Amino acid sequence: MTTGALADRAPAGGEASLQAKPGLSVRLEQLRAFYGSAEQVKGVDLEFRANEVTAIIGPSGCGKSTMVRCINRMHEEIPGARAEGRVLLEDLDVYDPSVDVVAVRRAVGMVFQKPNPFPTMSIFDNVAAGPRLSSRRGDIRAKVEAALRGAGLWDEVADRLDEPGAGLSGGQQQRLCIARSLAVDPEVILMDEPCSALDPIATLKIEELIEELKRRVTIVIVTHNMQQAARVADRTAFMLDGRLVEIGPTQEIFTKPSDSRTEEYVTGKFG
Amino acid sequence: MSPGSSASDEHPPAGLRAGTATERHGTPAASDEAHAQGRAHFQAQLQQLEANALGGLDLIVEQLDRVLEALQHQDVELAQMVIADDDRVDGRYLEVHQGILSLLALQAPVAGDLRLVAALLHMIKHIERMGDQCVNIAKLIPLSGYEPPVHREMLDALAKMGAFARSEVVQSKAAFAARDVGLAEDLVRQDREINRLNREIFRLAIEIGDDPDTREWAMHMTLVARALERIGDNAVDIGEQVAFVVTGLFREFPAPRPPVPRAPQPPGTQAS
Repeated sequence: MTTGALADRAPAGGEASLQAKPGLSVRLEQLRAFYGSAEQVKGVDLEFRANEVTAIIGPSGCGKSTMVRCINRMHEEIPGARAEGRVLLEDLDVYDPSVDVVAVRRAVGMVFQKPNPFPTMSIFDNVAAGPRLSSRRGDIRAKVEAALRGAGLWDEVADRLDEPGAGLSGGQQQRLCIARSLAVDPEVILMDEPCSALDPIATLKIEELIEELKRRVTIVIVTHNMQQAARVADRTAFMLDGRLVEIGPTQEIFTKPSDSRTEEYVTGKFG
Repeated sequence: MSPGSSASDEHPPAGLRAGTATERHGTPAASDEAHAQGRAHFQAQLQQLEANALGGLDLIVEQLDRVLEALQHQDVELAQMVIADDDRVDGRYLEVHQGILSLLALQAPVAGDLRLVAALLHMIKHIERMGDQCVNIAKLIPLSGYEPPVHREMLDALAKMGAFARSEVVQSKAAFAARDVGLAEDLVRQDREINRLNREIFRLAIEIGDDPDTREWAMHMTLVARALERIGDNAVDIGEQVAFVVTGLFREFPAPRPPVPRAPQPPGTQAS
């Protein structure tokens, strides 16, 4: 599959993006990530299944954020940082020299810990920014509405699309960021601690949204909140010191983990 | 020096610069120290809860000792005390049950801790049931009056059953406390003996003769045997919880062999 083929998967109409569709799986093969000579991810093999939510848990500094940032090649944006190994989006190696980084980031969206809407742009323009940059313009308004609906924000902002995105509450801003990534019809959404800056109600809304979104995309969520992993994830992976310790169905990780280090971490004996 | 290593002097962004934290808390070598701080308060609560639940089995042993003694000596007063003291068992049930609810609501235990809490919930329910069976036996004692027509062989069989039941309760506690699956599985062996004695007592009751008072007493004793048999089953159930806590898998221990059906006897040949 080429990058072009990736782009071809995006449905043409805006409304279409609200419909369920098969997402893409992501497979890491011997992924290693470095900051200069410091190895932060030390050879991880892991598959994120299509249309599933996979949570990554582990103590601070275990490499979970770094690993996730390798999936859409954000990691290499940091000076001195590099990655080795393969990241396969279905059968496309995102580190292949022929691959267009922009196309990778359109296919693999990212939501960060702190909501980061474009501060000077209106709510509408925040969401429209992606589709405007993409080659196929289509009906921007329809795409924006579909994305905002997909992010569960439409009803709250429909009558004030021209107001600045920065004027929304924290939880709304985070959903605006999710709408922004949805607007370019991604296959995968990476979430790095998406709720850690939000209050419980806003957190609940994002978690409900995740359940909805997985009908259309594959979701990888990094979280420090183990209850959140337990609530939203189909499978949970536990990382320690740059390595994958264990991945399994979430229910098993939280009732009967097979590795004693996972047991100690989830029961709060270290971390 | 390669460009890669010269860049190592640069620090990763703040959110990723947590390698030292990993070294402090994340490695198994350092986990013992962290363990003490980790969730020490929660672990203490969980241990206390387990101690309270296991203490419930001690209450059952006390109740069982007294009701068996009352049975052997037709001691109606002692039987009344057993009935009154069931409030202590029920109180323990409520206390542990409330403790479990609080722990689930406030501490959200997971993995091994969650399995332990779930097992304690089962255990305390079984303890409450065993307490009720002791009361059932105690209530049967006065029904036969102060000097019932005792059948020695039957009473001896009941004493043996009682001893097995007591031993099962004690062993279920030891197995749980030590997380000893082998010891828990051994409960089935003892339970087989209890079941055999239960059938034996039933047979004795059938063959006890025509005297209405003796037959009534014997009927009551089959109910006593049934109550003791149930206590044994409850102890085996606690044993199954031991295996669940340790392995994470729930499985019923192999059932004792079913009784061999008696060959039908021609009319008129039954003992009279």
